Amino acid sequence: MEDYKFLFKIVLVGNAGVGKTCLVRRFTQGLFPPGQGATIGVDFMIKTVEVEGEKIKLQIWDTAGQERFRSITQSYYRSAHALILVYDISCQPTFDCLPDWLREIQEYANSKVLKILVGNKTDRDDREIPTQIGEEFAKQHDMYFLETSAKEAENVERLFYEIAAELIDQARNKDGANVNKTTTDSIGLGNFGTKATQNSCCSSFSSNTSQSTNENNNSRNNT
Amino acid sequence: MATTTTIDVSTPESIQTTLRKIAEEENDIDTNLENLLSKQSLIESKMGAICYFLGTLNTVVADTKKLSTQISHTANLAESVSAKVRSVDLARSRASECQQRVHDLIDLQLCSQGVLKAIEEEDYEKGSALIGRFLSIDQNVLQRTAGDVGSSGSVTSVSDAVRTLENATEKMRKLVVIRFDEAVNKDDLASVERFLKLFPLLGIHYDGIEKFGKYICTKLAIKSEKELRTSLDIAKSENRLPVAFADTLTTLLENFARVIEVNKPIIEAHYGSGYLIILAILLQNECDSEVKNVVLEFNKNRRINDLIQQIKEYNRATGGNMPSLSQYQKQSVNADKPQPKDIDPIIVELTIMHSRVELYFRFLRRKVKLDIDASNVEDVEKERQTQRLNSLLNNSGLSRQMQELLSNYLLLERHFMEESVNKAITLDTFEVGQQCSSMVDDVFYILRKCIRRSLTTQSVNGLCAVINNTASCLYNFINALKVPLKNGYPSGYTDLAYSAIQSAVQHGKLQSSDSEKARSNFINRLNNADMSTEFLETLWETIEQDIKNTFPTLSVTEQRIVDSCISELRTVRDTLKACVNFGMTQLRSSAVKPRLNPWIDQFLNYSHILSEEELADYEAGETFIQTLIVQLDGFLSQFKNVLTPRNFDAFVSILATDTTARLERAIKKTSFNRLGGLILDQEIRALSSYLTGVTSWSVRDKMTRLTQIATILNLEKVDELTEYWGPENENETPSWRLTPQEVRILLALRIDFRMDDIKRIKL
Ligand SMILES: Nc1nc2c(ncn2[C@@H]2O[C@H](COP(=O)(O)OP(=O)(O)O)[C@@H](O)[C@H]2O)c(=O)[nH]1
Ligand SMILES: [Mg+2]
Repeated sequence: MEDYKFLFKIVLVGNAGVGKTCLVRRFTQGLFPPGQGATIGVDFMIKTVEVEGEKIKLQIWDTAGQERFRSITQSYYRSAHALILVYDISCQPTFDCLPDWLREIQEYANSKVLKILVGNKTDRDDREIPTQIGEEFAKQHDMYFLETSAKEAENVERLFYEIAAELIDQARNKDGANVNKTTTDSIGLGNFGTKATQNSCCSSFSSNTSQSTNENNNSRNNT
Repeated sequence: MATTTTIDVSTPESIQTTLRKIAEEENDIDTNLENLLSKQSLIESKMGAICYFLGTLNTVVADTKKLSTQISHTANLAESVSAKVRSVDLARSRASECQQRVHDLIDLQLCSQGVLKAIEEEDYEKGSALIGRFLSIDQNVLQRTAGDVGSSGSVTSVSDAVRTLENATEKMRKLVVIRFDEAVNKDDLASVERFLKLFPLLGIHYDGIEKFGKYICTKLAIKSEKELRTSLDIAKSENRLPVAFADTLTTLLENFARVIEVNKPIIEAHYGSGYLIILAILLQNECDSEVKNVVLEFNKNRRINDLIQQIKEYNRATGGNMPSLSQYQKQSVNADKPQPKDIDPIIVELTIMHSRVELYFRFLRRKVKLDIDASNVEDVEKERQTQRLNSLLNNSGLSRQMQELLSNYLLLERHFMEESVNKAITLDTFEVGQQCSSMVDDVFYILRKCIRRSLTTQSVNGLCAVINNTASCLYNFINALKVPLKNGYPSGYTDLAYSAIQSAVQHGKLQSSDSEKARSNFINRLNNADMSTEFLETLWETIEQDIKNTFPTLSVTEQRIVDSCISELRTVRDTLKACVNFGMTQLRSSAVKPRLNPWIDQFLNYSHILSEEELADYEAGETFIQTLIVQLDGFLSQFKNVLTPRNFDAFVSILATDTTARLERAIKKTSFNRLGGLILDQEIRALSSYLTGVTSWSVRDKMTRLTQIATILNLEKVDELTEYWGPENENETPSWRLTPQEVRILLALRIDFRMDDIKRIKL
């Protein structure tokens, strides 16, 4: 068996064209893909990262944004440990759809799932959604918030590393509460009798500066 | 060499003599040394010789160099010879090119003479063939030839002939188009095919395929319109009403597939490879709109949109998750949601429709890809054409339709699964004599059915979504199992306050039967959970096999997605196991512990300090262990047949653990003499053999500590212990579970052992 301490499932959702596939490619392959077709159903990538000295396997599910793929993509929500909800900062309609996405998440995902709002394409100069607006929306809906550019590789590593770090914390808290420590290779939310205590706040995510220097090193190594 | 054997120093003379002698010896030695030194020059000269030979070696090097120069000379020579050969080759190929040109010119003359006549006689085949020959001549070369011949002033006919043929080509192209259109208008298939073959000869491949494609499309449109109109009637007459639209769609796609199948060889023969993609694209447009009509008709007739709407609203109302059981019972009253049995046939029809499209696409991909690969163009161009094919497959209206069919299928399937599972849970019945109730069989039957059905869509995405939904559904099922387990096992009531119950029973029996019911409910859920883990394991093993059969060639990514989805079922299994364990701990605290403890504590009422006489009495009467075993046996037999074998084993394991722990406590509170120790040893052996008899696994491990305790308390003398204690004994008996500290405490329970001996013993 592969050697890793935790396995986390991360699902990306959001309107078609906001850059989900590019974010995943940037993170897993270190590139910005030129004109690939729209995602059909779901796609799947794996990347093993090291956070706080632990090997973490991230299973990243990239989903198609169109309505007609919804009944496929929804089925992946429940087992997700983290959901990344992406919009395009240069495209108002993708932001306006966020409440619909949240409703869907509410309906199908585990209530304790880690939710992250991501405004992508910060490299573009035709911004329509000010950072503050995105931030406020995230705060209102109990989500972490980050702005990224898949094109310029900005905040992409940071996004995934911080999710990993947060999920490790949750898993550890849960482990502490759980007498039975034998299930080390995967944590299943909603397992019998034990659930992670949710620490929901937006602050720790964006104020973690040491992590971001770490990330810069990493992105240099990758490219 | 001279040696002074005797040195006489008695007189001055003799000293003098001796001195002289020594001086002489010294001289001798000096000469010797000089001798040796003189040899040095000899050695040096030899060294010189060697150096000289080294010089000779240098010549060898020079010679070698010379040789290599000669070799390269030869090589050059050979090269120049082969260059000559090459130029001879070139000359020859020029000659044959020349010959070819002459042939071309001759043909050109013949063609130009024949073509006009052919046109006049309306011999299109002959005319086109002549033009085809003309067009096959390299037009650039032809221009040059015309120039060459023209300048020499001999024959002007070359450029004349070219002009004639160019005009004839124009004319013939128009004529063939006109004749083709006429044939189309008359719907004269033979003529259509006749003229179809002429287009490539006239160098207008694309026009030919396009016209032909359009013709086929109109024909197909008429045909499918008729088929769609009559589909319900036909289905009715053939007793296939529930799959009427799937049948229509199948026929329709078969029509298109047949066109490709039949015309591929014709096009390849007359047009060459690489043109099928053009036909495929033309056909796809028509196919898209025809399929759209069928799907529209299907949606209308089967009220798909209403159903989807209802389900979505229902899901939104129940928060997407399956309602809890009590909620369900309330809601089942209002029947404003689609019923599983009503949507079942529609789901089947959807899977058929989806699979037909999938198969059609596979067919199209295979045929067109083969044609592209066989074509005579650069790899880049092939790549470009393959891209066109992919975009045709992924972005066509049909592929969108297919995705929508799948989407609707998944929504209905999910609803079907959840509702059926809910029903199975609500209608759960328990038959006396059974260990599990009906819902386990029912639920797994439903899940299996849905997963199998998802495979018939031929879609990996669809399969995975259904597996995911299965996992969700199972979590809800587990919750249904968990509730009674959480409430605990209500046995303490009947057993511990037996008399109280007796009086309650006399006052109206209610409590007893209530408690009885709750009790069997608890056991039943525990069994259900255990049986479910087994069913779940079987489920994923069979679906893994089914998947291999349905999709023998999955891509790496697809395989990973499938594996990951199936591993979710593994997580569910672990949750189920945790559920069983939880139930077991409940059973332990409310059923096992309260009864076991008083039984075992009886041990304290039996003295283990006995005389020989008392021993005989003890053995004659009812011993502690006999009573305990009878009690345990009675207790276990209540559970033996009601628990599943695995649960029963787990139960016995709990019982054994608790019994031994409690008994150990009682022993430690008791004092023993030699005979008491003997009795204890017998008692432990009896208990061990009883427990071994009731389970299929070994209880030996659980009994180890007690057995060791009995061994210690049954010692003749303290220092006998050394025979048992120590690493050399570890092969025969299990290693000691007792610490030296514990051993000393145990030894101290023997009133006949002296404290000093106990302290002295080395452990
Ligand atoms: N300028 C810019 N364009 C982006 C960025 N990320 C994605 N895109 C573009 O947005 C389009 C859609 O991206 P894609 O990843 O396919 O979106 P998806 O449908 O959410 O998966 C593509 O043309 C990308 O090149 C970004 O960070 N900056
Ligand atoms: Mg995408």
